[in-house]
This record gives sequence, structure tokens and C-alpha cells, in this order.
Amino acid sequence: MNDLRRGLSVALAIARKDGISELRGRQAAGSTIFFAALVLLLFGFALGPDSRRLAEAAPGLLWLAIVFGGLLTVARLHQLEADDGALEQLALYPVDRRAIYAGKALAGAAAMMVLGGLLLPVVAILYAIPIGAAWLPLLVAVALGAIGFAAVGTAYAGLTVRMRAREVMLPLLLLPIVAPLLLAAVKATTAALGGDPLGELGSWLQLLLAFDVIMLIVGAGTYGFLLEE
Amino acid sequence: MKTRILGLVALAAVIGAAINGLFLVPPDLNQGDAQRIMYVHVASAWLAYASFGVTALAGIGYLVSRDLRFDAVALAGAEVGVMFTAFAIWGGMMWGRPVWGVYWQWEDPRLTTTALLLALYVGYLLLRRLTDDPSRRAARAAVVGLIAAVDIPIVHFSVIWWRGLHQGPTIGDPSKLLHPSAPLLFVMALLAMLGAFTLVWTYLMIRRYQLARMEWRLEDAARRDRVSAARRAASASAPLRAAQPEEPAR
Amino acid sequence: MMDAGFVIAAYGVILAGIALYAALLVRRLRIAREALLRNNPVDEVR
Repeated sequence: MNDLRRGLSVALAIARKDGISELRGRQAAGSTIFFAALVLLLFGFALGPDSRRLAEAAPGLLWLAIVFGGLLTVARLHQLEADDGALEQLALYPVDRRAIYAGKALAGAAAMMVLGGLLLPVVAILYAIPIGAAWLPLLVAVALGAIGFAAVGTAYAGLTVRMRAREVMLPLLLLPIVAPLLLAAVKATTAALGGDPLGELGSWLQLLLAFDVIMLIVGAGTYGFLLEE
Repeated sequence: MKTRILGLVALAAVIGAAINGLFLVPPDLNQGDAQRIMYVHVASAWLAYASFGVTALAGIGYLVSRDLRFDAVALAGAEVGVMFTAFAIWGGMMWGRPVWGVYWQWEDPRLTTTALLLALYVGYLLLRRLTDDPSRRAARAAVVGLIAAVDIPIVHFSVIWWRGLHQGPTIGDPSKLLHPSAPLLFVMALLAMLGAFTLVWTYLMIRRYQLARMEWRLEDAARRDRVSAARRAASASAPLRAAQPEEPAR
Repeated sequence: MMDAGFVIAAYGVILAGIALYAALLVRRLRIAREALLRNNPVDEVR
């Protein structure tokens, strides 16, 4: 029990540290959000101007923007420590690796939830999507998607941060893994926006939840091996 | 020696199964001759997934034991696996064009899952190529192999749900072959091909494993040579530096 | 039948691919074996 409490406090401490770095702005968190919004804008140019087509594509475009922003986010959360040589220090601490993973994943998930939440009004405006009563299931979908992406993304970011060609290796490894997450999140978003005519919203959210749980377990289990390099 | 015999047996088996599939087995009532492609397509897919499983399990084996022989198995599985995955996709496309009219169908969970499998394998192999240190490479590869293996069933189910209310392809669902009602001759042809491919797979895995072990020994030897050469160069220049007179301070 | 082309393409590429890969492996094995023997003439190479 003591170990659990210590692990939790370590995780929270790491998450808080990362969160503060994000908020201080030195971490370019704001730039990432702006980049994701820019992606949404660019999609408008790529797929428009037919507003009906854009409205239909909106859920997919939203989640693509979240994914692109997410890639930058998880990479960033490891990059600063890698640059300062702090990762080696972290690896030396006699603390449960899973706690370190949990802290970083928590920070990543929180950052992505903020990202997703801020993109919702952008999508609503750019693609003329009335959100209305769907805001709650939409936020749930964003939360679950963020957790899942951060779960795998944190592990892969830790893996690639010291690699050659890491800018391409992270997306190359991560994107195929999150394909089912993307699929489910878009389906859930579409269902929520449309009033869930087929009653499938619950199933898709459950799939997201299953993805989250599985990836958190696997990520926590393997992160230690990545630190010990 | 035994492996060589295995190789020859595998070769004979493949030739036999291919002749069977191409000429001896009758064509399907609905799909015609395109049905024959199913034998190589399904067999390839089977082995692609099996290879993936081997890679994932071998990765776990490495993480637990730190024995690089596991990593050699994992590498063999990935390389052989990426080949069979490519074959499975190719076969699927060659079958799809005459039967569906298109080379690609998003709603077919097998095709899309296998395409993702290819992406995952290629990423795995690239990751290995970009890491030089053997133990680091093995650890990273093991993590990626494991996460990818866990992901595959999730992908499969999500694509099946994705298809949802859409009608599946009306003729020619590839899984018809595995149905209990499939004609016996077809099932036998598939099993024959599967058996032959499994022999081939075993042979290739053994050879790739042997190759990995040998090449790593050569790598280690080269690395040791480089290190000792550098050391010799460093110590050779040291006495020279000591003998040179100090520059008088001005 | 019209489909014959696709059947041949399927079998041809797959079987040729297997053969090519096997040949490549055998060749690389031979090269590695020779290199190892050159480095360590006494070692038994497995």
C-alpha cells in the first residue's frame, strides 16, 4: 500500500512538473494548439468549399488535427528532459518506472484534452457544425481519445526521443497503432453530433475505453525497459 | 544438414500444393478461377499473423531474459512476416479485382487489418535499422513488437464494427473457405497450401535466425576491432606528446 | 478464363518472392560463414 501511495505521489509530481512547464509557455504548448487549428483551416481549403462535404468530414478532420497536435505534444513532453540530460537522472531514481510513466502519460492526456476541447469550437465554426446538446458525449470522446493516444504516445515518445530520425520515427510507429482509436473516436463523434440515431455511441466509447485500458497497462509495463538504456 | 533437407521438402511441398491449387482442384461456381488465389492468400495471411506472434513473444522473452537469441528470433519473425504480409495483401488485391471489381475494399476487415500489419512490421524493421547498440535495439524492438501485437486484435474488431450495417461484399467473402459448408476439395487444397507454406516458413525462420546470429558475431568483432584500434592510436600518440618540449609561456 | 491473369500474377509473385528471399538468405549465410571463418579459423561456425 505504501508503494502505491509513493508511486502515486511520484506520478502526480511528474505530471505537475510537466503541466507547469506547459503552462509557462516555454514548452510551446500554445503553438501546438495553434498548429492544430491551422490544420483544420487548411483542411477547409483542401476539401471545401462545399459546406455539406466539410460538415460530413468534420469529425474525421477534427480527430486528425487532434492526432497531429498529439504527436507534437507527446514528443515535446520528453524532448525537454532529453535535451537537458534529465532523462538519465530520471532513470537513476529508485522509483517505480510505472509511476514515471503514469505521470508523463497523465500530463500528455491532460494537454491533449485541452487541445481537443479548444478545437471543438473551432470545428463548430469552420465547418458549421451545431454542437448543442452533444457537448457532453463529445467531451467524453475527446477525453477517452486523449487518454488512449497519450498512453501509447508516451511510451513511443520515450522510445524515440534519443533516436536518429526521431521526428519521423515517432509518427511512423505511432500512427498505425492509433488507427483503431481514430476510427472509434470519429465514429463516436459522428454519432454524438447526429443524435446517435443507431444507438452506437455507447459501443464506440466502450471500444475507446478498452483501448485506453489495454494501452495503459502495456505502456506502464514496458516503459521501464525504455528508460534503462 | 537437417535444415537443407527441410528446405528441399518444403520446396517439393510448395510445388505440389501449387500444382494442386492451380490445375487439379476445380474452379468455384461463383468466383471461377479466382478462387484459386485464396489458397495462397489465406496461407500467406495465416503465416504473416503467426510470424507476428512469434516476434511479439520473442520480444517478451528478450525483456525477461536479456538473451539476444530471443532478439534474433524476433528479427527473423519480423522479416519473414513482412514478406508474407506483403504476399497476403498482394493476393487479396489479385483476388479482389476479378471478384469485387476493385483492388481494395475498406470494409473487408482482413484486408485493412493486414495493411496495418504491414505498416507495423515496416516500422519495426526501420526502428531496428536505426538503432546500433544491440541491447538497446533489442529492447526497443521488443516494446514495439509487443504493443503492435496487442493492437492488432483491437484493429480487427474495430474494423468489423466499422462495417456495421453496411452489407458485406455479396459474392466472395474470403472466409467462405473456412466455413463448415465449404466443399471438401477446396478445404483440402487450402490445407495443403497451408502445410507447404508452414514448412517454407520454418525453413526461412531457421535460416534467418542463423544469419542474424552470424552477422551479429561479425558486428561484435568489428566493433571490438574499432575500439582496440582507437585505443592503440591514442596510446601511440601519447609518448610523442610527452616528448615535445612545452611551449615557453610568454 | 479472364481471371487467369490475376491467378498467375498472384501465384507468380508469391512463389517467386519466396524463392528469391530463400536464395538471398542462403547467399548472405555463405558470405557470413566465410567472413567468420576468415576471422577465426579455429572456430566452428554453426
